[in-house]
This record gives sequence, structure tokens and C-alpha cells, in this order.
Amino acid sequence: MADTLPHVAGAPVGVGTPVTRKEDDRLLRGDGRFTDDVRPADALHMAVGRCPFPHARIAHLDTSAAERLDGVRHILVGADVVAATSVISPLRPTPGTPDLPYYALAPEVCVYEGHAFVSVAATSRHIAEDAIDLVEVEWEPLPHVTDTLAALAPEATVLHPAQLDSNLLSTNPMGPGADAELAAADVIVEDVFRVNRVTGLPMEPRAVVAEWRPGARRLTVHCATQVPHLVRMQLAETLHLDEGEVRVIASDVGGGYGLKLGAYPEDVLACLHSMRLVRPVKWAEDRQEHFRATTHARESVHRFRIAATQTGRILAITDTYAADLGGQYSSFGPAQLSSYTYPGPYRVTAGHVERQVVVTNKTPIGAYRGYGQPEVNFARERLMDRLAREVGIDPLEVRLMNLLTPEELPFTNLSGAIYDSGDYPRCLRMAADAVDYSGHRVRGTVRPDGRRTGIGFSSFIERTGYPSAKFLADRRSRYGTHESLTLRANRTGGIDLFTGVSTMGQGSETTIAQVCAQVHGVDFARITVHAGDTGASPLNTGGFSSRTMIAAAGAVRIAASELRAKTLRIAAYRLAVDPEDLTIDGQVVRLRDDPACAISLAEVHEAAIFGRGIPDEEDPGLEATAHYEPPAAAFAFGSAAAVVTVDPETGDFDVDRFVFVHDSGTVVNPLIVEGQVRGALAQGFGAALGEELRYDRDTGQLVSGSMLDYFAPTAADLPEWELLHTEVASPVTPFGVRGVGETGTIPPAAAIANAICDALSDMNLDITSLPITPESVWRAIAAASAGEGMS
Amino acid sequence: MIETVPILVTVNGTRHVLDVEPRMHAADLLRGMLGLTGTHVGCEQGVCGMCTILLDGTAVKGCLLLAPQLDGCEVETVEGLATGEELAPLQRAFKEAHALQCGFCTPGFLMAATALERSGRRLTREEIREELSGVLCRCTGYEGIVRAVERRLTGG
Repeated sequence: MADTLPHVAGAPVGVGTPVTRKEDDRLLRGDGRFTDDVRPADALHMAVGRCPFPHARIAHLDTSAAERLDGVRHILVGADVVAATSVISPLRPTPGTPDLPYYALAPEVCVYEGHAFVSVAATSRHIAEDAIDLVEVEWEPLPHVTDTLAALAPEATVLHPAQLDSNLLSTNPMGPGADAELAAADVIVEDVFRVNRVTGLPMEPRAVVAEWRPGARRLTVHCATQVPHLVRMQLAETLHLDEGEVRVIASDVGGGYGLKLGAYPEDVLACLHSMRLVRPVKWAEDRQEHFRATTHARESVHRFRIAATQTGRILAITDTYAADLGGQYSSFGPAQLSSYTYPGPYRVTAGHVERQVVVTNKTPIGAYRGYGQPEVNFARERLMDRLAREVGIDPLEVRLMNLLTPEELPFTNLSGAIYDSGDYPRCLRMAADAVDYSGHRVRGTVRPDGRRTGIGFSSFIERTGYPSAKFLADRRSRYGTHESLTLRANRTGGIDLFTGVSTMGQGSETTIAQVCAQVHGVDFARITVHAGDTGASPLNTGGFSSRTMIAAAGAVRIAASELRAKTLRIAAYRLAVDPEDLTIDGQVVRLRDDPACAISLAEVHEAAIFGRGIPDEEDPGLEATAHYEPPAAAFAFGSAAAVVTVDPETGDFDVDRFVFVHDSGTVVNPLIVEGQVRGALAQGFGAALGEELRYDRDTGQLVSGSMLDYFAPTAADLPEWELLHTEVASPVTPFGVRGVGETGTIPPAAAIANAICDALSDMNLDITSLPITPESVWRAIAAASAGEGMS
Repeated sequence: MIETVPILVTVNGTRHVLDVEPRMHAADLLRGMLGLTGTHVGCEQGVCGMCTILLDGTAVKGCLLLAPQLDGCEVETVEGLATGEELAPLQRAFKEAHALQCGFCTPGFLMAATALERSGRRLTREEIREELSGVLCRCTGYEGIVRAVERRLTGG
């Protein structure tokens, strides 16, 4: 799909058209409306004071000097928040865990660097920040623990002693077990894999503008969120308001990637200030805060194991992993999909998985693009190469031997996930062919300049969407799986489309409208999308989990069909023909066989809206709302191949080529799908090759918590990717779509690590932790050499 | 009271006489005092490039300039690129190459690329990647942006 050409203006738009986006013009003109662009004239500005220690008790807090500063209007401390609100409830608690309630401000003990303990509303942001500096705090530092495994040691300080007697929050053992297979296996490969703590780093920091009107009892909250309707629910609960009194608006969101899922403490604080002061209150996160107060992701330690026969056939896979929670919950908590996708695309019928959620003195972990899937992919695909080495079979062949074939699908994996359809081996072969793998095997790894070249593979699946609302309910998740929208005909002949899915770059304004245009027949250009406003959209779920298109395509199909049918009935009445003989063509309704016999959509819409000139049995109005719950999750899949060159002495390496073969089912818009894949790959490369939120073990301080210290790849840091795709329609979704937003994050780390190990195969080195850097490769070389010396 | 400094600054061709706080940075001035919210703020330490503007024709980061430094200068922002309803060719190239997703970084890239375009230099793909490395994007993987700029710099 290299360099897809955009759609030609004027031609029909539907599913599969590479039409340019509805979102683009306003964003290109600087006329987007991000939350920080909402500037009420009389707004006050909020700043937040944060704990500088990883774990500390507030021994004494004095805000009197801050209160005396000119321009300061209101100060909140933990006790105020406890008195005025309920705790913030997670949207997706870890199953089987005790609640770890948290308030918007720490009342007494802060459990991570950056934990908020005071907030100020003032006439300017400068003054609010000055006031924070004037808050006098006497801190009593407490023993801290930042390492995930160290937090499980018996001597570790228990961070939530009122609720827990250790820092282990939960274990979730799942799977049929594997005792017999492990005993019978010829080969068992296993290791401990450490996955780095990273962050999605949206370019737009979080922001909120809250305005309370006590007479109207209306709280209007502009909020940079992926889930306006869920934030509304959380705010109403936390602030003890009727849900009808809260309206949440997320117009343009500057990137989410899972980080902007659910209410954050600052959202509650801005509301509290506004409710007290009866003025709009605004908070715009600065980047230093973002690195500490917006969720981190991925950090986990996997003890992964593959048992196999001497011929390379997998008998069992097991994974016991510790997932870092940070100091307290976030709305989504630690990733849960490792437990569902750890067996990957392979034919595995025995195994088990256990998730241990561990509390540490770090920023709370939350959802991030991939949500547990890149983590297990790294561990499993590294071990697939180890298995190949152990049994003396090529890594490509070992994978092909174990990949599920199209005939074996649908397949229920060890955790009950159902892989719906696809051709997994074909994707891997395409990747191997693209990098001339057989030629590489003949040529060998040594290059004339002394550097080594290697090829590594990584095969993957991605669960997109959810199995069912019941699946979520069983896990105490506080949302469903449906999407909904309203289509409303307008008097100028267009359609207003209302969706609760906020616009954060995923292109859903465009893709949902494409489906609407195809099903209804109206011109794509005449569909006006109104997104992300709870006051103007039916209750929905939101934009995450690669689920929007799967669910919204169903909802828009139903609503557009209903709208179309009524439009045809009214047009038929006015034209004195049979509705069966009519069709909608852009801006008119016309006879299929005689385009001259037509009536404009504007005329039909106006007749319906005014209730004049419509059949007696029709109600006036022309509007349809639909809710759609997909019957199952769809699994995207694919394989990647990395070609690297490595300096065997220094560990310096380059990714020369990266081929990504994927299948996201029926493609609604090739431009957007390619953009999603490339964006996810960039985040996958960043996390694989440099991004790391590192905490100093002794001080518990975040040492890479600024843009200068955190490696987010620039345009100059990424190689050219080669994208290939197959298009197997999913049988379980409308139009056969699969989600596409997250796949690119999954395979890069393993493919690159495998390629490096292949390049240095004579050294028998291993890479088991992320990120992969020249230094870490050099250390792996040194470790392998030392091991050789000892043996 | 905080003392203010009087400045005269021309923004997208319009002259403004303003009294600014000395500690205010240029991006905050544009956003807060002139309502030009197309210039975004992403890190306030000169790394992310969201606030890239043209200062007397040169691409600079607005968060690293104090408002008083704009005195006597010509500033161009993303709002000045289009002519009425008509997008500038660079903006059209961005749209056609799907060079934007969430759009938060887009003004920064457009201003950086406008400076490149005006320089008249013909750049290789690799040089374009280097030249654009002062602005970060987390959505696109940069390919669409590089393609759009490449097309403009090669007369496409």
C-alpha cells in the first residue's frame, strides 16, 4: 500500500475509498479546537502541587502564604477533596483485586513522585504556579520501592497497608495447565523478559476547562479525553452530581493512545474549584507534570516458557508475569491483554498464564496502544528463535510449522480468545520473501566490512474490540462494548452525524461518514460530523481498544438504513412512485431507471422536518439513532521481518529494513489504515529502541521525565518501513473490518532483537530486556563471551 | 502589580501594540493575547516543536522566546498560511499525503516546512528528515509528512 493516492473529488465515497479526511482542513489552518484552545474570558487558572518524593507523609501543610498572594482565589488540599467528593473509580479494575480507592488529592501519604497534594485557582497560570511555590510543606519521607520484583520481596515496605498485607494486588491464574506436556517435552526454552516502562507521549498534554452554573445546575467540562461519556459517568459519581447535570466535551484531542482514557484527578479538581468559585476554571498540564501525572505503561517482568518436541512442535506455553501498577490505580490500570494473547498465532493447546499486579512507588500505569500485547510478543517471539536454535531448525520453519492455518480457524486459544479468520502463514512467507530470507541464509551473516547482518521475524495477533459486554461485566469493567450514533437530516439536504467518539487522530469522523455515505447514498461531503460532546450524542463507549470502527460501522449501518428507508418513503409519496424503485444519489432521490424523475434531498428533508407533504402514516422528523454491539472481537494478525547490521565489537546496530505484513480485514480507508500502521510502528520502534521511564533505585526519582531526557523518535530516527498487507474479511464484524490502531506496536521489539541475535548467532547472545540499545547489545555480547569463557 | 513592557509586533501582517509581562513566552502571547490558538504548546523547553513560528522568516520555537523579544518583529503563524478559503500548496500537500492525524503537531511542521520551502533548497529525503527533526509527531510515523514536504520541495 505504498504511497496510496487520494480519492478524486466528486467520485462516490464508500467503504474502501482513500478519501482525504474531514478533520484535515481545520487542523491544517490552526483552527482545531483542542481543550487548551477553549478560553472563556473570565476563566481562572489552576496549578497543582506535586510530591517531590516517591513515598512521603505530609507532616505539616500550610497554605496561608499562598492564600495571601494577590490573584489567588481558592486552594484545595486533600481534606477538602475527601470532604467534597467520592473516590475516583477505575473503569477497568484488575479482576479479583481489592479496591485501592484514591482521591483527587492525596490526603496524607503520597505514593509516587508527582502525586498531587494541593491545587490552586488564581487569576493567571503564573500566579497559580507562584502560589504553589508558596505552599509550605513538611515532608516525612517514607521507605520506598520502585523495582517491580523488589516490591514483592518480604522486606519491602507495604504501600497500602490498610487494604493489602503485601504489594501484590492480585494474581489471575488462567488456562488449562500444562503439567503433562511439560513433563513430556523434549525441549523447554524459558527466560525472564523485562519490558520497559514507557509512555505514549501525546503531543497535546492533558487539559480541562470546567464551568459550573449553580442556577442551571450544569457542569460543563471540556476535557482532552478519548471517552467523554465515561468521564461524565466518573465525574458525576465523584462529585455527587446527577449524570444529567454533567456535560463533557472533547472536540479535538491531540493524541490519546490509551493515556486519555477516563477521568484524572485534575479533572475533578478543576470541577471542584469551579463549583466553589462559580467561575470557569482551566488547567493545562505542562510537560514536566505530564511525565509524572499522566499514566505510564508496559512495565512488566515475564517468566515465559515454551515446551516443544525435538521436531519443533510446540506442546505448551506458560507465562507468569509481574505487571507494575505504580503507586495507585488509574482508570485503566495495568495492561490485561498479555493474559489473552500470550500464545500468539500458534497452535497451542496446553499452558497457563498468571498475572501478578504489583504496587510500587511510581506513576500509575494505564492503557497504552497494545495494552499487554507487545510485551508478550517480545517474550514469545524471542523464545521461538531460542527454540529453533535448540532443535536445530530454521526460525522461519519453526514458526511456519506452528502457525495456525486458515483451515484451523476459528480457533479458541488457551484463554478462551477466539481467533476468527485469516491466513497467518501467508503473512510470514510474504515477510520472508520480501527480505530475501533464503538468499540471506545462503550468504551468511558476515559482511566484508566486518559488521554482521541478520534477519529476525516476529509473528503476531492483535485482539481488536471486545468479545462481549458480558466479558467486560464479568471482569467488573464499567463500560460496555457497543457504539452508537445519531443521524439527523437537515433542511439543506445534508445529514448531521452525532457520535460520542472523540476525534484524536484516528480519522473516525471520516471513516464513519464513509460508511454512512455508502449505506445511505448521500454525498460524503454533505455529512457533517459532530463528535465527542455528551450533550449532543447518544451514550456510547468511546475510542480505544481498536474497537471504534468495528462497533461504529454496525451502528451507522443500522441508522443509515433506517434514515434511507424513511427518506425513500417520503420521496416516493411526493413523486407518486414506489419506494422500491427509488435510490439516493448524492443530493437527490431519484428513480433508479430514470434520473430525470428526482426530488432533492433538501426538499424531502424539509417536508419531513416540517411534517408537510408526507404520508399520513409517517411521523414528522427524519432522524435515526442506533446502538450496536459487535458479536465478537476480531483478531488482526501479521508478521514482521527486520534486517539489521551490527558491529560485533561495539554493539552498534542499524535497522536497515523493516517489513511489516498485516491484515486488518476490510479496509475502510487505505490512507487512514496506512497512517495508523505507521504511527503504531513509530511507537513500537521508540519503545523497542530507546524510550524508557527510568527511576533511580536509591532515590526513587524519575530520571528521564522530560522531553530532553525521554527518547521519542524524530523523523530522522526511524528507518523507511515497507508495508505489505492481506485483506481477509472478518466474518464476525460489519463489512469484515478488523481494528488497526495498535498492531504496529506489537512486533518491532522481537523482530529487531531476533535479527541482532541472528547476526551474532555464532556468539550465542541473548536479548531479554527492553529497550534494545547499542549499550545493551554490547553488554549482551560481553555476557555471552563471559559465558563462553566459563564453559 | 507585575510590570509590563510595551511592544509593537506584526503578526500575519497585522500590527499589534501590546503590553506584555516580561516572563510571558511568545507562544503564550500568540495564544492568550491574540487568540491565535493554532500555535500549540507541547513542552515549553524547546524540544517538541509544537510552537514553531516564523520570526522575520526564520523558523523558531515560540516557547524559547520571551514576548518582549518580539518587539519590532514580523511573526507568521499557521493561521497566516491559507488565503481565504484556499489552502496553501503545502497545506494541500499535507492533506493529500495524510501527513496529519490528531493535528496537534501540524502547525509546527507546517511552519518548519514553510521555512524550508522558501529557502529554495532542493533536499533529499534524508535531508528532509533531518530538517524536520525539530518537531515531534507521535501519530504518523512521519512518513506522510516527509512525503508532503518532498513533493513540495521537488515542485510536486
